[in-house]
Amino acid sequence: MLRDKRSEYLTALILVGPFVVIYGVLFVWPTIQMALLSFTKAPLIGPGEWVGWDNYVKILSHKLFHSAFWNTAYFVLLTVIPNTLVSLAIALAVNRLKGWQQGFVLACFFLPYILPVSVVFLTWNWIIDVQYGLVQYVVRLFNGGQPLSLTRTIPLFMPSVAFVTIWWTLGFNVLLFIAGLRSISPEIYEAASLDSAGRWRQFTRITWPLIWPVTALVLTIQLIAQLKIFDQVYLFSIGGRQDATIVLVQYVYKLAFQQNKGGEAATAAMLLFGMIIILSVLQYQLLRARGQK
Amino acid sequence: MLKSLKRLALVSSAFLALAAGAHAQQNVVWWDFLAGGDGVRMKALIDGFNAEHQGEIQIQGTTLEWGTPFYTKLQTSAAIGEGPDIATYHLSRIPLAVDSGTLSEITDEDLAGAGISDADFTAAASDAGKVDGTRYAVPFDQHGLILYYNKDMLGEAGLLDANGLPTGLDGLENFDAVLAKFTGDGKYGISTPTGDRYRTIYSLFGQQGGTMFDEAAGGFFPTDEDLAKLTTAIEVVKGWVDKGYTPVQVESPAALALFTSGQAPFFIMGNWEVPTFVDLHAKGELFEWGAVELPTLFENKAAWSDSHAFVIPANAGKEADPAKREAVMKVIAWMDQHSLDWAGAGHIPAFNAVRESAEFQALKPQSDYAGFADTAVFDPRTILAGPAAPLGDAWSNFINPATTGEIEPADAAAQMRDDLNGQL
Repeated sequence: MLRDKRSEYLTALILVGPFVVIYGVLFVWPTIQMALLSFTKAPLIGPGEWVGWDNYVKILSHKLFHSAFWNTAYFVLLTVIPNTLVSLAIALAVNRLKGWQQGFVLACFFLPYILPVSVVFLTWNWIIDVQYGLVQYVVRLFNGGQPLSLTRTIPLFMPSVAFVTIWWTLGFNVLLFIAGLRSISPEIYEAASLDSAGRWRQFTRITWPLIWPVTALVLTIQLIAQLKIFDQVYLFSIGGRQDATIVLVQYVYKLAFQQNKGGEAATAAMLLFGMIIILSVLQYQLLRARGQK
Repeated sequence: MLKSLKRLALVSSAFLALAAGAHAQQNVVWWDFLAGGDGVRMKALIDGFNAEHQGEIQIQGTTLEWGTPFYTKLQTSAAIGEGPDIATYHLSRIPLAVDSGTLSEITDEDLAGAGISDADFTAAASDAGKVDGTRYAVPFDQHGLILYYNKDMLGEAGLLDANGLPTGLDGLENFDAVLAKFTGDGKYGISTPTGDRYRTIYSLFGQQGGTMFDEAAGGFFPTDEDLAKLTTAIEVVKGWVDKGYTPVQVESPAALALFTSGQAPFFIMGNWEVPTFVDLHAKGELFEWGAVELPTLFENKAAWSDSHAFVIPANAGKEADPAKREAVMKVIAWMDQHSLDWAGAGHIPAFNAVRESAEFQALKPQSDYAGFADTAVFDPRTILAGPAAPLGDAWSNFINPATTGEIEPADAAAQMRDDLNGQL
C-alpha cells in the first residue's frame, strides 16, 4: 500500500517535474528578479542602487503611464466583448453547415490567425494608406470626398487597431466555440424540439449554459492577450504620434530600450503584471459564480 | 586498405593546413543597419574589401533592423561582451552611447596605425564623433535633407537655369509663389511625408539661426526667441498644408509616389532616396530629375543633417586583442578611402580626399547638393538626441501633428520644449 502510494508520487513527480523546473527557471525566477529590479535605480543592464518605492511613486504619477493605462483599457474594451460575440455568432452559423463547406468556411476565418502579426498589420497599413489605400474609397464617401488617415487621426486609431485585431484573431475563438458546440449531445436538442422549444429558447436554455465554460475560457485568454498588446499598436503608429496611442507594454519598452531605465521599466512591468493577476482572478470568480447558477 | 588510409592522411593534413591558414586570418564581425540602396552598396564594399584581403582580414557582415532594435541589441550585447568588432552608428547618438558605456575609445594611435587622422575629415564631422575630447567614432559620410525636383515640370514653367538647376526658389514668398503655381487639378506644389516634416522644420529653424539646445542657458529652446523661431518654422510647413500645396496626410511611400508619378514637382527628403531615382531612371521609368540643397527661405543656408560613422563596441569582459583592433582600424580606413562607391547611395563622403576628388565632383546630382555639408544643422549634443531617441519621439509627438492642425504651432513648440526638458 505504502509502496503503491510512493510510486504514485514518483510518477507524478516525473511527469510534473520538468514543467516545474522550466517554469521556475524561465518564469518564477525572472519574475522575482524583476520584482527586485523594480526597487532599484538601474540601467537596462548593470547594477543599480536600492531606492525603495521611489519608482512606483514616480511611475504611478507619470502622465505617460496614465495615457498608456487608459489606452490599454480602451483597447481591451473595444476588443474582448465584440470579439467574443462575433466569434460566437460565426461559430453558431458555421456549425449549421455540413461537410466540406464547414471546413472551407472555418479555414477562411482561421487563415489570418496563422499569419505573423507584422504581416497582418503591414498589409493593413497598405489597405488603409491615406493616399492609395482601398479603404479610402469608402472613407471618401463619408468624409466629403476627403481621405482620412486612420493611424494618425487619434480618435480613429484604437478602433482601427481593434478592428484589425478582431479580424485577425477571431478564427481561433470560432474554433474553440465550435469545439464547445460539438460537445453538446444532439439528443438534448431533439428532446427540446419535441417539447416544442423554438430556436431562441434552445439557444438560451441549452446552448448558452452548456458552452459557458468555453466562453469563460475565450474571455480570459483574450483579456490576458489584449492587456499585453504591443506589436499591433507599435506597427500601426510608426511615424505617428506614438505617445497619444501608447499602450502599457510599449511604455515598458520605451523606458527600457529607448531611455535605458531598467529599474523604472521593471516597475511598470510589475504594475502590468499585478493588473493582469487581479483582473484574471476577478474574472475567474465572476465567471465561476455565473457557471454555478 | 593501405591506400585509403594514405588518402585519409593526405586529406586530413590538407584540412589541418587550411585550418592553420584560417587561424592567421582575422575575422571581423560587423553589424550595420543599412537596408535598401544603402544596404546593397555597403554589401558591395564589404565584398570588395574581403576580395582584396583574402587570407588576411575577412569581414563577416550582418544587417540588423534600423532604429531602436539595432541600438538596443548593440547596447545589450556589448554589455555582456557579445557585441560585434565593428558597427555602423549615427553620430547624433554618440553622447547617448557614451553615457551608457557602449563604445570603446578610438585613440589617435589607432587612427595613425591605419594611416588616417582627424585632418582627413571636416572638423564638424570629426568633432561629432567625440565626447569631451575623447573620440568614439570615425565618420563615414554626411547625409541630410535635400530638394528633389522634376526637370521637365520646372523647365516648362521656366524655372531652370542654363545648367538645368532650379532658380528663383530662395525666399519664403518666392518659394510659396512657385508652389502655388503647380498646385491644383489634383496636383501638389511639393510632396512632404507627414511623419518626416520635422526634419524640414528643423532645417527652417536652423535657417533662422535658432538654438535648439544649450545646457548652460537652460536646456532645450533656451530663449523665447528660439521658441518663436521654431513656431515660425512650423507655421511655414503648416502653411503649405493649409494652402493645399502638399497633402495633409501622406505616408512616406505615397509621398515618394506623388513625386515619381509627376503629381508634384518637388520632394523634400533625405539624400538616401537618390539610388531609388537613379535606378528608376535607368529603367526608363522616371522623368529627368535633379536634386539640390534646400532653398534658403530665411537668413541663412541650413539643412538637417546626420552622419553615418564607424564605432568599436566596448565588449565588457572581453580581452582587448591588439591584432583584432588593428584589423578593425584597417577596415575603417579602407571603407573611408573607398567611400566614392558609398556616395552612389546619395551620401556625401566624410573623407576629404574622396569628397574633393574629381570623380566625386563628376557625380550628379550628388555634387549639386554637396554644399549642404558645410551649412548642415546636426542634432544637438545631448543624450536625448539621435534617431529612435527621446528627441525623435518629441518631434513626432508634437511637431509633425502641428502641421496637420492637431496642435497649434506655438503650443506644439512649447510642449516639445517642456517634454524634453522634463527628461533631462
